[in-house]
Amino acid sequence: MGLLRYTLWRFAQSIPVLIGIITITFFLANQIPGDPVEIMLGPSPAQEQVEAIQARYGLDRPAHERYLTYLAGVATGDLGWSIYYDRPVLEMILLRLPVTMYLTVSAFAFAIVTAIPLGVLSAKRRNEPADHVSRVVSLVGVSTPSFWIGLMLIIVFAFHLGWFPARGLPLPWASPADVRGASTQVEVVRTSLYHLAMPMVALGTLQMAQITRIERSSMVDSLQGEYVKLARAYGVPESTIVRKHAFQVAQLPVITIVGLGLSTALGGAVLTETVFEIQGMGRLIITAINNQDYELIMGTTFMFGVAFVVGVIITDIAYAYIDPRVTYGDEA
Amino acid sequence: MTARDPDSPSDDARADGTTTDATTDDSPTHDAAAGSDEIETRVGLRYTLRQVKRDTTARIGIYTVGFVTFVAVLASIDYYVFDYAVAEAVWYSPVSDPEEVQRLLPPVFMENQFGTGVLEHPMGTDHRGRDIFVRLFYGTRIAITVGFMATGIGLGGGTLIGAVSGYYGGWIDDVLQRVTETVYAIPFLVLVIAFMTAFGRDLTFAMIGVGITSIPVFNRLIRSRVVSVREEDYIEAARAAGVKDRNIILRHVIPNSFAPVLVQATLQIGVSILIVAGLSFLGFGAQPPTPSWGQMLSASRNYMLPAPTFSLFPGIAILVTVVGFNILGDGLQDALDPRINN
Repeated sequence: MGLLRYTLWRFAQSIPVLIGIITITFFLANQIPGDPVEIMLGPSPAQEQVEAIQARYGLDRPAHERYLTYLAGVATGDLGWSIYYDRPVLEMILLRLPVTMYLTVSAFAFAIVTAIPLGVLSAKRRNEPADHVSRVVSLVGVSTPSFWIGLMLIIVFAFHLGWFPARGLPLPWASPADVRGASTQVEVVRTSLYHLAMPMVALGTLQMAQITRIERSSMVDSLQGEYVKLARAYGVPESTIVRKHAFQVAQLPVITIVGLGLSTALGGAVLTETVFEIQGMGRLIITAINNQDYELIMGTTFMFGVAFVVGVIITDIAYAYIDPRVTYGDEA
Repeated sequence: MTARDPDSPSDDARADGTTTDATTDDSPTHDAAAGSDEIETRVGLRYTLRQVKRDTTARIGIYTVGFVTFVAVLASIDYYVFDYAVAEAVWYSPVSDPEEVQRLLPPVFMENQFGTGVLEHPMGTDHRGRDIFVRLFYGTRIAITVGFMATGIGLGGGTLIGAVSGYYGGWIDDVLQRVTETVYAIPFLVLVIAFMTAFGRDLTFAMIGVGITSIPVFNRLIRSRVVSVREEDYIEAARAAGVKDRNIILRHVIPNSFAPVLVQATLQIGVSILIVAGLSFLGFGAQPPTPSWGQMLSASRNYMLPAPTFSLFPGIAILVTVVGFNILGDGLQDALDPRINN
C-alpha cells in the first residue's frame, strides 16, 4: 500500500472516533442546565415567541431526533447556528480557527527548534553539567503552568521592559486596514510576530520540556545501539555518529510525542488565549459556555477534537514515512 | 497497520514517552500468590521506597511531596474541624476580608504604590487585603486533594477498563478501547470544561472531570501490562487450578502491574494539579472565597502592573508542588527500571 492510500485509510479509520466525539459533545451539551430560550428572550417571554424559537432551533423535538439531525448536519458541513453571535457556527469557527492554529503551530515550532538541540546535547554530554542544566530546564518546563508563564512574561516583557505587546494576536495575512499601527503588509507581519512572541513561548514551553526529555532518552538509547558501536569501531568521528547514525533513529518517538502533545497544546491554547486576550478558538468556547450557546459549544468542542485527530494522523503519516519498518498495513 | 502489533505507532510512543516498562520481577509477589494482595502490594511498596531513598534527587521529591501534603493536611484539619479558627487565631483568616483593609501590599522589604511591605504579611496582601501567605497555605488543600482524588478516579477507572479489556480481549477489548480512544481525542482541558458546564462548576466536578480524562492513560498502561502478564506461566497455572477470572485479575494480574502504575500515578498527580489550576484560572473549580492557587492567579491578572508580586507567589507554589511530584515519579521510575540499576 502506498503512502497516499495509507493516508486515506488512516482518515477513514478516524470516522468512528469523530462520530464518538460528536456523541460525547451532544450528550454533554444536552445535560447543560438552563433553558436556552429563556436566555435568548429573557424571563417570561410571549408563548408564540417561545414556540417560534423552539421550532427554529428544533428544541421541540426529542433528543435522539435532534442528535441524528445534528449528525447529518455535521456530515454536510452544517454545525448549526450560534445564538449568541447570530451567525452560523461554522462561520465563527472558520474565523477563529486560523488564529489558534497560528498560535499552536508556532508554539510547536518554538518547542522543536529549542528542544532538539537541547536534548541531543544532553544525551551527548550525559551526566555532565550541560546535561544537568538541560534536565532542570525540562523538569521546570513540565511543572510550570503555561498561563503563569504568560502572566510572568507580560509583567516582565510587556509592562516592565515594554518590548512586546501584552494582548491580541493579528494574523500575518490580515489586511493592513484591520491592524492598528500598520499601513503595509510587511508591517502587519512584523506586528503579528511581535504579538506572537510571548504567547508562543508561554504555550510552547511545556512542549519544549517534554520533547527535550524524550529527545534525550531516545538519543541515549540510540547512542548505545549496535550500529553506533559498529560505527565507532570503524573509527567514524563521534560528531558524524551523533548527526548521521544516532539522530535519525532517535526521532521516531519524538514525532509521536509531538502528535500527542497536541492534546495538551490545544487545551493550553484556551488558557494562553485567555491570558493574552487572543480571539481564537479557546476564547470562542469560553464565550459559548458563558452564554449557554449550545450549538457553538458543540461545534467548538467538536473542532478541537477534529484538530487533534488530524494532528495525530499527520504525525502517524510522518512516522510511517520516516520509519521503514512501518508497512502501511499490508499484513492483517 | 504497523510492524509493531497490536498498538498503533502513537500508542507505542505514548508508552515510551511516559513510562518505560518497568519489570514485574522486581517485586517478589509471584510466590506469595496464596496470601492476600494487600500484603503483596506492601512488600512491593517497601522495596520500591528503599530503592528510591538511595537516590538523592528522588529524596528531594519525597521531602517536597511530604511537606506539601503535610501542609495540606494541616489546612484541611483547620478547614473541616475548626472552620479557619486556627488560622485566624495564629495569623489571618484566609477567606474573610480584614477589618483594616490594606490592599495589594508588596512583600516585606519591598515597596509599591499601595505602601511598604510589612512583616505581618511576608508575601503581601491581595486585592481585598487578605494575606497572600495564608491563602497560599490554605490553597495547598485544594491542590493536593484534587491531585490525589482525580488521579485516584483515573487510576480506578483506568485499571478496571484496562484489566478487563486486556484480560478478555476480543469484542469487549475493541469496544472499551474505542470508547477510551474517543475520550482521549478531545483535548482534555476542553473536555473537562464541557463536562463541568454540563454537570457543575465546582471542585467536585473538576476532580471527576480530570479523573475521567486521565482514565485513558491508566487504561493503556494496565492493558499493555495485562496483555503481557496474561501469558505468564503462573496465570496459566492459576487458570488450570480453577481460579475464577475475576480473582486472577485482582490477585495476580493487577498486583504485577503495580510498579509502572505507581510511577504513572505519581506523575499524573502533578498533571492533575496543573490542569485544575488552569481550570480555576478560567473560573471552573473552587469558588471564591475558598483559596485556590489558580483562582488567586486569575484575580491577580487585574493588578499585574501595580502589584506584580501578587501573580508571582501562587505560580511558585504550583511549580514547587508539581516539581516535587515529577521528581518523585522520575525517582520511582529509575528505582524500578532494572536497566538503570546502579
